[in-house]
Amino acid sequence: MIDISVDLGKFKLKNPVMTASGTFGYGKEYADFFPLEKLGAIVVKGICEKPSHGNPTPRIAEVTSGMLNAIGLQGPGVEKFLHDEDYMPFLKKVNTAVIVNIWGKTVEEYERVAKRLDEEKEGITALEINISCPNIKEGGIAFGTDLKLASRVVSGVRKATTLPLITKLSPNVSSIPDFAKAVRDAGTDVISLINTIPGMAIDIETRKPKIANIRGGLSGPAIKPIALRMVYEAAGAVDIPVIGMGGITTAEDAIEFFLAGASAIAVGTAIFADPFAPLNIIDGIKKYMKRKSYSCLMDFIGKVNIDKK
Amino acid sequence: MPIQEQGKIIRNAELQDSYRKLELYAPGICAETKAGQFVHMQISGLRDRILRRPFSISDVNKDGVLTIIYKVVGAGTEVLSTQEEGSTCSLLGPLGTPFSLPGKDEIPVIVAGGYGAAATYLLAKRAESKGVMLLGARSEKDLILTKEFSDIPFELRTATEDGSTGDKCLVTDLLETIIREKSAKKLRFYGCGPHGMLMAMGKILIENGLDGELSLDHLMCCGVGACFACVVKVKADNEDGWRYARTCKEGPVFNASSIYYE
Repeated sequence: MIDISVDLGKFKLKNPVMTASGTFGYGKEYADFFPLEKLGAIVVKGICEKPSHGNPTPRIAEVTSGMLNAIGLQGPGVEKFLHDEDYMPFLKKVNTAVIVNIWGKTVEEYERVAKRLDEEKEGITALEINISCPNIKEGGIAFGTDLKLASRVVSGVRKATTLPLITKLSPNVSSIPDFAKAVRDAGTDVISLINTIPGMAIDIETRKPKIANIRGGLSGPAIKPIALRMVYEAAGAVDIPVIGMGGITTAEDAIEFFLAGASAIAVGTAIFADPFAPLNIIDGIKKYMKRKSYSCLMDFIGKVNIDKK
Repeated sequence: MPIQEQGKIIRNAELQDSYRKLELYAPGICAETKAGQFVHMQISGLRDRILRRPFSISDVNKDGVLTIIYKVVGAGTEVLSTQEEGSTCSLLGPLGTPFSLPGKDEIPVIVAGGYGAAATYLLAKRAESKGVMLLGARSEKDLILTKEFSDIPFELRTATEDGSTGDKCLVTDLLETIIREKSAKKLRFYGCGPHGMLMAMGKILIENGLDGELSLDHLMCCGVGACFACVVKVKADNEDGWRYARTCKEGPVFNASSIYYE
């Protein structure tokens, strides 16, 4: 009997495969393709206080083994998210964990959004604090690349809600362990990483950047080795659970993240190419466990085989 | 409802000049397809490229054959042009908001620029009343499906920018002429083509107190409304008077009156 459920401290998931924020809409967009209940968790696109337009187009560019995006967190705002049929009312009917990714332009906005979600938390499993979006002028990565600001956001949100907190880290820092420890000390229950890596592409005919915002966040297979290294470093630095993501496309990719120390993983850009990627990854994890005679995820989480010198 | 289906290539041949016609056996998608929808294709053998490519569905038949007209413009379509009969590619579809078919008492007027014509063929075929096809392009070699539209039969009027065939004017000039000619008739307008042409068409319709359905083309990523990459400005009841709508989900077909013109 293989058990792929995962305990993330304050909450449990039926399986360790979730969707990365921003790549799965608000869940409903993919409901035609497969039963959403099969996912370990749905992480919705970032929610802030008011409706937000996002960035001008073009917002994406395909690059070698990946893509750049600068969507700029277009979204309905927290009130519409809570009450419009396409968002939370729909998700409440889906029998799996729902994680709401939140962001703000100021520390206070993060707190207000968290408080509103806390007030109507039925159906919400946890919040993921986005301090790492590279595509907005204010907020986002500005909080995720400054130890003091990162701590302030997390401790502020911690005071605003009793919901379990996941903090999503930016790869755009020199020391992942420092940020992992800082957000742990500020009260996060779980760490997730990595967000996209700021990048750029230029059309040589028009000489224009391929993204209207000039820079965009790089995602996809191109960033997987960087993400894996950072997950390994974060898991080594703190004893709270780590959710790994960044370019995961296959079960083999996912298993590497578990071995590096992730307790759960998220699939992002791979969904754009194959909406069924999360399900194929769940199947592949089970096959690997059967082949290795592992009965639960703890049999291999963090068990990368490194010779002690 | 959209599905994922392995489309088997039956034919992949030159249509004319750099335009090609791809026929795929995809009965599941064909059965669901409405005029104006698209498929999101994973092109097999495209190295180091991870995203799907959207293609308008030009035609479907009861034998499960889905037709796409494409032009070789980049790495994706270059590789697609080398795919041989019998090979397969993953399709998601049918996707997007379709055209609404004209009523029996309405004359459909389709305005198409370049290979935008491809996205309107099924609409013309399924329209109960036969109408007028205004087809424009840079040059004669870019006018596609002329025989097919004439055979439906649609009254075909053509315009080229270089005057190599048809009237030497823009296709939107033909639109203004037909609005004047047939002002007494009940017309229903549809458009597909380059963005500039569609914006000009939308403005002409609105100036004449008319509406129509425009199929917009935009750089897409997920194709199902999840990523918010392919947005266009539409009118909205908010401070700014507009919001970004997803071309793949809320479109590609938008009412001309709903678009926010800048």
